[in-house]
Amino acid sequence: MSNLSTMQKGKIASVLVIGGGIGGVQAALDLAESGYKVYLLDQRPAIGGTMAQLDKTFPTNDCSMCILAPKLVDAGRHQNIEIITMADVDSIEGEPGMFKVRVKKNPRFVDESKCTGCGSCWNNCPVRNMVQPDEKETVKPELEEKDLEKITELMGDNKDGRGTLVPLLQDINTEYGYLPQNIIRYVSTDLDIPLSQIYNIATFYKGFSLTPRGRYIISVCLGTACHVRGAPKILEALERDLGIKVGQTTSDLNFTLEAVRCVGCCGLAPVVTIGDDLYGKVTQVKIQKTIEKYKGREYAKAKT
Amino acid sequence: MAEYRMHLMLCAGTGCVSNRSLKIEESLEKELKKHKLEEEILIVRTGCNGFCAQGPIMVAHPGEIFYQMLTQKDIPHLVEEHFLKGRPVKELMYTPPEEKAPVPKMGDIGFFREQRLIALRNRGLIDPERIEEYIARGGYTGLAKALTSMRPDEIIKEIKDSGLRGRGGAGFPTGRKWEFTAKAEGEEKYIICNADEGDPGAFMDRSIVESDPHSVLEGMTIGARAIGAHHAYIYIRTEYPIAVERMRKAINQAKEYGLLGEDILGTGFRFDVTVHRGAGAFVCGEETSLIASLEGRSPEPRIRPPFPAQSGVWGMPTNINNVETWANVPEIINRGAGWYSQLGTDTSKGTKVFSLVGKVKNTGLIEVPMGITLRKIIYDIGGGILEDKKFKAIQTGGPSGGCIPEELLDLPIDYERLTEAGSIMGSGGMIVMDEGTCMVDVARYFVDFLRGESCGKCTSCREGLESMYQILTEICEGKGKESDVELLEELCAAIADGSMCALGGTASNPVLSTIRYFRNEYQSHIRDQECPAGVCRELIHYLIDREKCTGCLLCVKNCPSDAITGERKEPVNLNQEKCIKCGICFEVCKFKAVEVK
Repeated sequence: MSNLSTMQKGKIASVLVIGGGIGGVQAALDLAESGYKVYLLDQRPAIGGTMAQLDKTFPTNDCSMCILAPKLVDAGRHQNIEIITMADVDSIEGEPGMFKVRVKKNPRFVDESKCTGCGSCWNNCPVRNMVQPDEKETVKPELEEKDLEKITELMGDNKDGRGTLVPLLQDINTEYGYLPQNIIRYVSTDLDIPLSQIYNIATFYKGFSLTPRGRYIISVCLGTACHVRGAPKILEALERDLGIKVGQTTSDLNFTLEAVRCVGCCGLAPVVTIGDDLYGKVTQVKIQKTIEKYKGREYAKAKT
Repeated sequence: MAEYRMHLMLCAGTGCVSNRSLKIEESLEKELKKHKLEEEILIVRTGCNGFCAQGPIMVAHPGEIFYQMLTQKDIPHLVEEHFLKGRPVKELMYTPPEEKAPVPKMGDIGFFREQRLIALRNRGLIDPERIEEYIARGGYTGLAKALTSMRPDEIIKEIKDSGLRGRGGAGFPTGRKWEFTAKAEGEEKYIICNADEGDPGAFMDRSIVESDPHSVLEGMTIGARAIGAHHAYIYIRTEYPIAVERMRKAINQAKEYGLLGEDILGTGFRFDVTVHRGAGAFVCGEETSLIASLEGRSPEPRIRPPFPAQSGVWGMPTNINNVETWANVPEIINRGAGWYSQLGTDTSKGTKVFSLVGKVKNTGLIEVPMGITLRKIIYDIGGGILEDKKFKAIQTGGPSGGCIPEELLDLPIDYERLTEAGSIMGSGGMIVMDEGTCMVDVARYFVDFLRGESCGKCTSCREGLESMYQILTEICEGKGKESDVELLEELCAAIADGSMCALGGTASNPVLSTIRYFRNEYQSHIRDQECPAGVCRELIHYLIDREKCTGCLLCVKNCPSDAITGERKEPVNLNQEKCIKCGICFEVCKFKAVEVK
């Protein structure tokens, strides 16, 4: 309640909008129109965001620049809006109604008051398109000795320069069954690749997991041929049998249940793979029996 | 090299291996040894034979005797009868469903008879891990011809004249693509082989790489010579570990033989190939996204132009072709453009590999001349519909393609005609659907696939597919509205217009084609709350036919929700309230006493 009361006391002097995409610009304009002083902050050299790169908008297929451009001009001209570009938020303190924000402004090396945006420097620059390096994490995480050994070996195989991130992550994923966080951090500092970029890759592809997975990965193929021959029912039968949903791992870390797009074995549809073994022409009853075998195997292994 | 009186071509493709063909090999070795035949008869592990449904498969030469569905138990008898006494074993041969007697020769079987092999020319005939066998079948002679007696522009002209078009799906003329890259300026040029076969229901690229990797390498080397590239990448999806392994082996062998690397065949031409594993993203099959992925960036497509031919991998001119396209190249150079362009239709030359799967009797991989009709593929090669049910539709082109109904079965297949019919050639998946397939469910399946695979860059694709999925789900659950079909059509147009790459651009095909040909199915879901195919769970229920039920209690034993009860030898009772509609009772009943209504 205290927060609300401070707000009601009218202590809001100004508003900071972080991110100058279409949403940020619109928010800034609305606030500025209602009389607030607005700081519009963006990491990039200019506001406009992704919409500026699009041809059309969804779902009406209107021209996207026609919507965006007038708003950009309005934001640029508005008395109450101050645009801060090439800047990052360093810290936020305080409570609603009373925030203190530290903003770090990166150098632009251009006098903004004189620049008209004609673009001829861009065309004449001998080192054009050079990427500004992201700030890297400076503290290298400590790894256990056996992990360190493993990771050095894996990195040795993948250190031949360009485009090695994906193969390296694949090797780590195969080695550990998933991507352990401390190892990703280590790779980030060692290879000088921002953590954000690694996570971008790791979460985009289906092949990577950020959580530990079971000893046996059960993949139910949901390719078209398998779908028309009843794969969804096989998946449900497995969910019932193992007591987990697709994407989850059993609590004893024995099985992880996954749905895959297509294993390319369409002639034998429906197909399920368990670990490295492939089972074709399965039925709900057959697959449950097969799973029993694997449960037994693990049990036998644990006993010896 | 030792001489053998017999060769046993044992299929070691993924399908047959999963049917334990390697165990068959062990038994064969043991039995041959027992009869002291191991020096007379050679077992060869070949790549995929194509007739996956009948695996494990073995073809015995001479005589081309086709053995199928082998088990370890059959082997002692087989070795003794055929390989020792020379009497082929009839019981292990294939009997086509429409005939009574088994057909001994592989070439006489309907599944193989109509096929014409160019890209798959070596399938089932060589050991893919031995370059000597590829060379013995005339391999690398095309490369020798291209390097020693043809100028780069002559190679490009030959490919242009042949009429070869991109086999990855879009069908862009290969020769013209090469010409663009050859003419583009750049310090270095690159070649990419796209083996990121993401279409569900298609496995021809996998099969080619696994059964004949050298044909792809040879094609790429010829292409490299034509456009002046010295380095290539093969992008193989990580779900195909055997393909990655075989390709790596093939590259090493070719290097040993001086067919790859520095100074190829003593001509001074150098060319090197790197294998790159994908990490599981459908959108990576799109060329600009594949290039981004190769460079280690997040694989989002970008606007073209510039095309990869101008600015591709590392900003250099890049020529990117599909596996099957590359595999065709050596044969075209060897036999000439005239020979190749005899096959096919006016606009689409040569042959195409399809994976014929779904509810058809003979599933597997086929290569047929362009212009063949769908009817011929389904009934002559495929042997008709499973359990002789009624044909409903055939789906081509993966998630970017559409469903073709029975009226169009006599359609000759080429790029243009398939597009007119509302589908596309695509990479070559052909999924046959029968009366038990619900077309609304199929449309929902593809939209679900695409909504999961959309990279999210374009709003129309990301949000539009999500909305379509919700509408289709409502229809499948019987909650659809009359206006939904129109709304779907409108969304389809918006998504196609507003998306940058082909994923969104063609995402509407599965929906539009099913609406076009099967509007009545949509309507019975919406108006009558009925799923005519008996697929959509909310609209069906299972019933026990009390006259057919024998009271064997198999369904009672297997029912996961205890919904079925009954006494032995008495018809069972199904409690609809407890039934979760899993369909296990339907699956296990041997007397067809369970009905779907």
